[in-house]
Amino acid sequence: MEACLAVEKDVEKVLSKFNGINEHSEQVLSELIDQVNSLKEELENAPEDHVLTNVQQELLFQTMGKIKDIVSRLAIEHRDLHSSVSKVGKSIDRNFTQDFAACSIENVFNSPEKIECLNRAICDHYFRQGMHDVAEALIYDSHTEIDYDEIKPFTEVHNICEKLREKDLEPLLAWTTINQDALEAKKSSLEFMIHRLKYIELLKQGSAFQSDAITYARTHFRKFVQKHEKDIQTLMGMLLYVPNGIGHSPYSSYFTSDEEMWSEIYEMFIKDACKLSGVCENSPLFTCINAGCQAIPALLNIKQVMMQRQVNQIWKGTEELPIEIDLGSENRYHSMFACPILRQQSTKNNPPMRLICGHVISKDALQKLANGNKLKCPYCPVEQSPQDARQIYF
Amino acid sequence: MADIKSLEHPTLKVPYEILNKRFRTAQKTLDREVSHVQQGISELEKCLFQDNEVKAINITNLLGGMVEKLQVLKRKADESISEELAASQVCKKRLDHLKEHAQTITNESSSRGSVNNWRRKRLDRMVVEYCLRNGYYDSAILLAEKSDIKDFTNIDIFLNFREVEKSLANHETQKCLLWCHDNKSKLRKLKSTMEFNLRIQEFIELIRKDRRIDAIRYARKQFPSFEEEHLSTIQRVMALLAFPVTVSITPYASLFDESRWNDLIEQFRQENYKLFQLSPQSVFTVALQAGLSALKTPQCYSEGRRSKNIAACPVCNENLNKLAEPLPFSHCSQSKLYCYITGLPLNENNQPMMLPNGYIYGEQALAHMAKEHNDHVICPKTNELFPYSKVEKVFVM
Repeated sequence: MEACLAVEKDVEKVLSKFNGINEHSEQVLSELIDQVNSLKEELENAPEDHVLTNVQQELLFQTMGKIKDIVSRLAIEHRDLHSSVSKVGKSIDRNFTQDFAACSIENVFNSPEKIECLNRAICDHYFRQGMHDVAEALIYDSHTEIDYDEIKPFTEVHNICEKLREKDLEPLLAWTTINQDALEAKKSSLEFMIHRLKYIELLKQGSAFQSDAITYARTHFRKFVQKHEKDIQTLMGMLLYVPNGIGHSPYSSYFTSDEEMWSEIYEMFIKDACKLSGVCENSPLFTCINAGCQAIPALLNIKQVMMQRQVNQIWKGTEELPIEIDLGSENRYHSMFACPILRQQSTKNNPPMRLICGHVISKDALQKLANGNKLKCPYCPVEQSPQDARQIYF
Repeated sequence: MADIKSLEHPTLKVPYEILNKRFRTAQKTLDREVSHVQQGISELEKCLFQDNEVKAINITNLLGGMVEKLQVLKRKADESISEELAASQVCKKRLDHLKEHAQTITNESSSRGSVNNWRRKRLDRMVVEYCLRNGYYDSAILLAEKSDIKDFTNIDIFLNFREVEKSLANHETQKCLLWCHDNKSKLRKLKSTMEFNLRIQEFIELIRKDRRIDAIRYARKQFPSFEEEHLSTIQRVMALLAFPVTVSITPYASLFDESRWNDLIEQFRQENYKLFQLSPQSVFTVALQAGLSALKTPQCYSEGRRSKNIAACPVCNENLNKLAEPLPFSHCSQSKLYCYITGLPLNENNQPMMLPNGYIYGEQALAHMAKEHNDHVICPKTNELFPYSKVEKVFVM
């Protein structure tokens, strides 16, 4: 935030200066033009063979001097703005990281096969997003081949999304009816949200549609009473304010956030549709990019520290990132075992071993701790033979 | 917040470079027009002092010219300054967009939806840039339009590139030479060899058409200015005059290769990135790399990785799996265990349990299975059947 604000300050300065010089130049130049024009008129009105008087000559001379002064000053004033302009550039460089690619491998995705994989991943993302046209355009532009069977489930979703964008709820409503049981099982409130939106749309049309709204509420809200009692109370409360306009009532927030309600339904639908068809709500690409955006600041930091200590060679040639990136538990998909003794991730050659007592350490640690035929568990008093430990699989 | 600081430099720097460029052109235009006005003044002054008797009619003519010049100056000043203002506005718009993210993140009350929305737009912005860099212009334009992010992308400057690239692909140098001329001072600062390479290519094309005399003339005219830096290259290229187009001797045959045009296109792209201070790599690939690494585990590459929960792992996705292959694994110093069957974390509420074959699953899943299968559990990985009583506790620190 501070970074943005710092740059913004400089940009604002430039804007106000340019605005200033714009007005200023327009004003002084118009004045000059008027002045010269009036001089010209005066001379034009004089008889044809009129010879300039001394006073007129002096006046002309003075005006010319003035013009010379003002225009050259104008150019100089504009040139002086350069420092403000370049300050913006410096401020951007200072507040934002220029070399964000410092900790990535160059051209790792540049081979034709990799580009194809990348394009397919992007297409997959946009099919999931219901943006079929974008995906199709990319397929066309990049000559990517794609398995159309895989995207079939997304096509129906896409059609409903299109309609939703046109503010047409009917196809979605039909979809929720077909998938009612499945939605119920997933505890989705999508259907209620649709009816809620329709009800509010009715109320919006004023008191003439009041009875329609009430009928609508009677027919559709009944089955949601158990789950959404509070919401329904709020919705019914709105009726009180219909004649005076709900915009001025305590319920006004429901009306102003109209766009939000549509986008909320849109998102909810995509989420539920993904759940029903068993795919993850976020595309793999989206998850990866978000993880990357989270990881890069940390990686850049550690890179800098390593450079200062002159140990940055360590970066290259290792098969692991130098630090742990905490992405939260929702972004962990596999069990990771790190040996509590050696603080190392287990590998094929260094698998986790379960001791007789149930504690788990890595094979390397086990060998280091073993004293001949004897091993004492580092966590409890049990003594055992190293041979009794057995490999486990997570 | 740190993500903005680390990743959005090009978002702001490109419009700044445009602003800077516009400032320079504006200054040039102003200086030129101002000198025109001053020229007019000195003419008039000359007229005033030349004779003792100055005729009004001469002066009115000169004054008319002066008005015209002033009006041109005024118009030009107005135009250039509004160009500069427009460029600064772009900077500001992008800043506002970045600030929006900072606000939604710090603001507790904002929904997950709006944070995700912004992130989705960020991905769209990145993909647009990726598409532009790879020459998928139509997709980039469509995506920017659909996602309503046109102001935040650099489509305009890339579209300028597109024309030049097209002409290069058609084996024409005219547009690219013009571009070199437009950006002369900056290119010189970057020590660009773009113009030289273009000249060389034109020379080669003349020989290809067997217009060798023209080629010599061309070389006489163009090459001397590059003599100092590129003498050896010039010498080698000049030697082409002695060979037929079908030559098969190594350095010379490659000079006739048509793929040199593709190299020129690539060079043109790279020079342009430098010109606008874009990094040679797109933000998209950089972020994707970091993300894949942060998520990549050895399990993503082990056999039998396809279980229910694991299908959600992005690195196990077929395409991304291939992409992640050369990248480093994530680092882990603290065990994080999940049940293979349910995907739930293994902890004191859901203890990790070992089957007699050494495989670990969550207590909840195994207990559930035992209830349904008459006190027996089946290892989902090996399909072996064990009595539930043989399951043992495991302690992972």
